[in-house]
Amino acid sequence: MQFQRKFVNWSLVRKILSMVIFILFWTILVQFIDYFHQIPTPKAVFLAIFELPVPVVLKNIGISFFRVLGGFFVGVLIGFPVGVAIGYSRILNHLIFPSFEMARPIPPIAWIPLTVLFFINFESQAIFLTFYGAFFPIVYNTMGGISEVDICLPRAAMSFGVGKKLMLWKVILPAAMPQVFTGMKLAMGVAWILVVAAEMMSNKGGMGYYVWYNHAVMDYPHVVLAMGIIGLCGAICSVGIGVVGNYFTRWQRLV
Amino acid sequence: MVAANQNSEVVFKNVAKGAYSKKTHTVILKDCSLNVEAGKLTVLIGPSGCGKTTVINLIAGYERPDHGEVLMDGQPVSGPNWERLVVFQEAALFPWLTCYENVMFGPVARKAISREEAHRQTMMLLNRVGLSDFRDKYPMQLSGGMQRRAELARALINKPRVMLMDEPFRGLDAMTRKLMQEYYLGLFEETGCTNLFVTSELEEAIILADKLLVMTNKPSKVKKAIDVDLPRPRDWGMAASERYLEIKAEALELLHAEAIKASAASDKAEIDLAVGFEKLKTARG
Repeated sequence: MQFQRKFVNWSLVRKILSMVIFILFWTILVQFIDYFHQIPTPKAVFLAIFELPVPVVLKNIGISFFRVLGGFFVGVLIGFPVGVAIGYSRILNHLIFPSFEMARPIPPIAWIPLTVLFFINFESQAIFLTFYGAFFPIVYNTMGGISEVDICLPRAAMSFGVGKKLMLWKVILPAAMPQVFTGMKLAMGVAWILVVAAEMMSNKGGMGYYVWYNHAVMDYPHVVLAMGIIGLCGAICSVGIGVVGNYFTRWQRLV
Repeated sequence: MVAANQNSEVVFKNVAKGAYSKKTHTVILKDCSLNVEAGKLTVLIGPSGCGKTTVINLIAGYERPDHGEVLMDGQPVSGPNWERLVVFQEAALFPWLTCYENVMFGPVARKAISREEAHRQTMMLLNRVGLSDFRDKYPMQLSGGMQRRAELARALINKPRVMLMDEPFRGLDAMTRKLMQEYYLGLFEETGCTNLFVTSELEEAIILADKLLVMTNKPSKVKKAIDVDLPRPRDWGMAASERYLEIKAEALELLHAEAIKASAASDKAEIDLAVGFEKLKTARG
């Protein structure tokens, strides 16, 4: 039997239509509603691309990436073992978890003033903040992934002769991997939020600073463009984690 | 062949087991004595929620009795061990390992045999359960029936002395279930390993069993042990035989009585059994 070939890819058409509607909506808003007349038009933003000071922007992107990835990796390095510990051991959970629960409702951005006391140099302040933002999603998801492993799996392994020491390595961690990577994706998002906020409050470069600078000189097309670039950077990081995650949890995605 | 090296018997002596939490205290098993004979296929049947899985967990060593003794060949069961392996209700294959790696898991984890020997036996067992072509697939890529077969192979490679089947075919569609039952019968009749099979399906119970243990409601004990003296090898054709129907009627009567007792709790599964009993009575005149 031969499948009927479709000449028009309607799902793609609809997706493109969605973007067209978005840009149309934006244009109408700015052109015809007086209240929004200071907001740059899509055309102005598009034209700003050609005036983009590429080396400056690239440098700022690099700076932001360094801060985000620095904080993120420290977050993984510390958050993952902590999440494993409090997910696996009830005693450690009771000792550590309550104080985390106290700190967690405080939005990480509220830490910005205090970081100045902890760290003299801005670089370490920024990395501390991205670390702090990444830390909780990683800890909580790792813990959740571990405590939600189906009891049948360690039980079966116990019967096969896997001892307590190897159980974590052979059974618990592989089973928890999907949720660990979910945590990392969330953590990366929070790290970008924090790096932008921190950079806006200082003059030490980075994409947050670049947005703020253009705001200060009232170059709004470039503000919007820079926002788009930040979004793109975040998306690239998210895809990167997805690729690594897919490798570690490939058994889950093959159907 | 895939024969077990030695068969063992399991005995429960006046076992009591409860489930405790801060607020509730439920007695699951009370004064429960039973006997899983060596080299026989014993089937445990009873109303849903009557503690059949608790019996399995006690034998596997995942739980300890509050009172009484669980003995294997006269020795108290002291913890999980490859000699007593469970095939779980939901497939409990390790989803991050391929079919082949899953079957290899036990011997490799215990370093019981060399890797070459483990490989040889794994390939043989995969062949035996018809999964040779699927050795490199992950469990999520297999159908429900294939998963159960892989799990059977994963248990059998360890040459357990007792196989504990905890409603292993639940959730399979009717055709696959029937095939798996025939498949399992074939394996059992070939290995002759001691088996305890837990189910809530009476027809499945009778066609598989050498001995049928009918459980009471909670707090449970064995209400009656019925010898199923149908000839082996078994097949579904025997479901029409006079003896099969006699056994079925007897067991249904016992289960029906339990269902009436439990009707206050109006558990659906038990009502289904009661309805089935009425149907059978009318069918036989």
